[in-house]
Amino acid sequence: MRKLFLMLILALLVMVIPAAAQDDEATDIVVWIAFTDGRLDWARERAAEFNELYPEYNVIIEGYGSYNEAFDATLLAAEQGNPPAITHFFEAATQEARDAVTDSGEPLFKSVEAAIAGRTEINGVPVILDDVISAAANYYTLDGEFTSMPWNTSSAIMFTNMDILEAAGIEEIPATWQELEAACEVIMAMESAPEACITWPNHSWFFEQSMAQQGADLANNGNGREARATEVFINSDAAVAYLDWWKRMYDNGYYVYTGVVRDWTGTYNAFIAQQVAFLIYSSSDTTLITNDSQEAGFTAVASFMPHNGEVEYVGNLIGGATLWLNNGLDEETETGALMFMNWFSNPQNAADWHKFTGYVPITNAAIELLEEEGWYEENPNSRVASAQLEAAQPSSATAGALIGNFVAIRDVITSAVEEILLNDVDVVEALNAANEEANQLLSDYNELYGE
Amino acid sequence: MVFHANMLPFFIITGIIGGAYLGFVFRQSNRSLINGMMLGGAAGLVGPWLFMTPLRSCTFETERTNTDFLLGLFFFFFGAALVIWLVQYISLFFHPDIKMRPSLIGKQDSRGVFRSNFLVPFLLLLPTLIILALFLYYPAYETFRLATFRYRLGAPRTPFKCVDNFTELLTADYGEIMIITLTLSALIVIFALIISLAIAYLAYQPVKGASIYRTLLIWPYAISPPVAGIIFFVMFDPVAGVIDHLTTTFLNTGIPAWSESPNFARFIIVAASVWKVLGYNILFYIAGLQTIPKDLIEAAAIDGANGWQRFRNVVIPLLSPITFFLIITNLTYAFFETYGTIDYLTRGGPTGATTTAIYNIMITAKQDKWLGRAAAQSVVLFVIVIGITVWQFRTSGRQVNYGA
Repeated sequence: MRKLFLMLILALLVMVIPAAAQDDEATDIVVWIAFTDGRLDWARERAAEFNELYPEYNVIIEGYGSYNEAFDATLLAAEQGNPPAITHFFEAATQEARDAVTDSGEPLFKSVEAAIAGRTEINGVPVILDDVISAAANYYTLDGEFTSMPWNTSSAIMFTNMDILEAAGIEEIPATWQELEAACEVIMAMESAPEACITWPNHSWFFEQSMAQQGADLANNGNGREARATEVFINSDAAVAYLDWWKRMYDNGYYVYTGVVRDWTGTYNAFIAQQVAFLIYSSSDTTLITNDSQEAGFTAVASFMPHNGEVEYVGNLIGGATLWLNNGLDEETETGALMFMNWFSNPQNAADWHKFTGYVPITNAAIELLEEEGWYEENPNSRVASAQLEAAQPSSATAGALIGNFVAIRDVITSAVEEILLNDVDVVEALNAANEEANQLLSDYNELYGE
Repeated sequence: MVFHANMLPFFIITGIIGGAYLGFVFRQSNRSLINGMMLGGAAGLVGPWLFMTPLRSCTFETERTNTDFLLGLFFFFFGAALVIWLVQYISLFFHPDIKMRPSLIGKQDSRGVFRSNFLVPFLLLLPTLIILALFLYYPAYETFRLATFRYRLGAPRTPFKCVDNFTELLTADYGEIMIITLTLSALIVIFALIISLAIAYLAYQPVKGASIYRTLLIWPYAISPPVAGIIFFVMFDPVAGVIDHLTTTFLNTGIPAWSESPNFARFIIVAASVWKVLGYNILFYIAGLQTIPKDLIEAAAIDGANGWQRFRNVVIPLLSPITFFLIITNLTYAFFETYGTIDYLTRGGPTGATTTAIYNIMITAKQDKWLGRAAAQSVVLFVIVIGITVWQFRTSGRQVNYGA
């Protein structure tokens, strides 16, 4: 017993001493990532490589269950004077991240571009900011400057079960709402019809994508990009058109609703189990869908997210998250954090990240690298999201909305969709009510943050 | 502390009520009437400030609505009642007749009463009281204070909002949330108790490998609510779930889609929550069953009681302390700990059919970041749960047989 105890103490010492020794040499760069799955492991592997390449730094990756958790923890840590160097936070909360201040009134985050201050390389690590694909650059550039470093970036695309499509005798993947509806009519009339024709999560992101496709802003002041948004347009004509179409798809039994908002798992499973022919989803899982469909014994082909064929197609926008640099770091930590951010998305890493997940390659150099490798020829599905973002016309609508309290407003949108689909509420009426509620939430927010 | 002239009549009322009540109590227990009246009057004047201080007496401002005013009055009188009652209780410890001083242990048992200084038991309780004050009463008070602000982490401003966070809950939507909360909680508690007692009774029978069954039965308790949610989601997914596949194959009909059947969604939530808490209840019931004297059951058998009669008239009454304990813990579980299960199963839907009070609080606080609003909601939930618990102690608590 005593022997065991001594050995335990020894083992503890062995673990503690090198850690303590390491602290003295290398500067710790603490990075909070809002993933807990394989994507966190991927980030940890990269951090280990970085630490080997640059032994003067010690990047520590810590996982959080959600973006909000990481954000709240960062705020509290900053107020206690011990923030991480980098925090991972999502696109819809960009306004909130820009507005956030600590107890002392200091901004929580620092603009990445301001911190880089025109350098093209930092201690030998090339700065990648100028090379970031335009869709992401447009979203995250505010007042002419990148506020955070893009990392996981996706777009909404459609996956088609080609076996069902062939069985129905449809030759081309539908590209518009109208074509999709016609295809569904054919598919559902088959004897061996699947349970439903199509599904996608009732997530406000798809609503926002549809607004962008039709060139409609979601908020005033140029989608909140010229000045702080003070009004939202959830009941615009584009929104009514989208919901009218969606409701018709649902009423005809073409669209299956899993009954749960933001249901990524249920919709995904429905597609893989071949219960639906089409799935509109995030490109972030392209690799997974392609592999899982092969395992399930059918071919899934990715294509652009269908748009309203009755109006001009303007383009889709991004989704995902960025890395935010915390304010008030000492110079050495900040330099290390900037080095890591830029190295983390260098062409090699960005390409690897894309292959591993399906998030778009974040720089043009990464796309070139993948083209040279012949990756896209072997994996045509993986090209779709980038191509869709490249096809977008630059405008405030495709740049995406910047709205305070966006997460709560998104909830209002998904609730309105449920009301419309399930409770047979009139589309215009439901969207008007949602708009009023969302405007109230926005003015509540602006009361706290506005000028 | 802010004082408005229109508060004066209400202070007079609370002062008079406090004075009259304590004076009456003091007279009844052979103490000085004057002392009681003075003490009660003071308590009646001080009490309202308990809530009026954090509220800055704002509900008495002339431009407030009637709803605000009435809610303010409620807090005003509630604070007064709380302090008057507390003063009354504490004064008992100073009763000149030592026999009249309250026993901290219970009325039936006088063996353990401290006959020395009554401060000694309090001294011994001090560590507990400090922890309670620091980690329970103070945070509860802070929650109330927070509920008077439009508070948001990371915001440069935190405006004072009087009772707005409370009054904006007075909507039909929130009323529905309350009804759903009470219904689901009641169903969870009832089913959890009945099923666990049935299973515990079976597992208690002397069969081969009983200890293995018992261990396995307790396992679900070790699973966290979100995991219970995920397991049930995988099973009951209406499109690609296991159960749907089975019913389609064997019964030729799928399970109802959640989207079209709010009651089915509620059923799944109740089922998952019940399953999750079963292990805990079974553990206590098996322990309880083991304490039932065999001779009682034998005696009943000799008197001609059949199996059901023995169970109904001997076992269940003897288990009543366990049942009472489990009702309280399960109720707390159903009210406060089902958030994870709901979040992973239905996300409160379809169209709010499974949005309970605690789920709404978590969404308001964690997702939408309105901490002040969430604080107000949790104050409301706190009051409701306290009310139900007190009611429980008053009603079924009296019927509990501790076998003494």
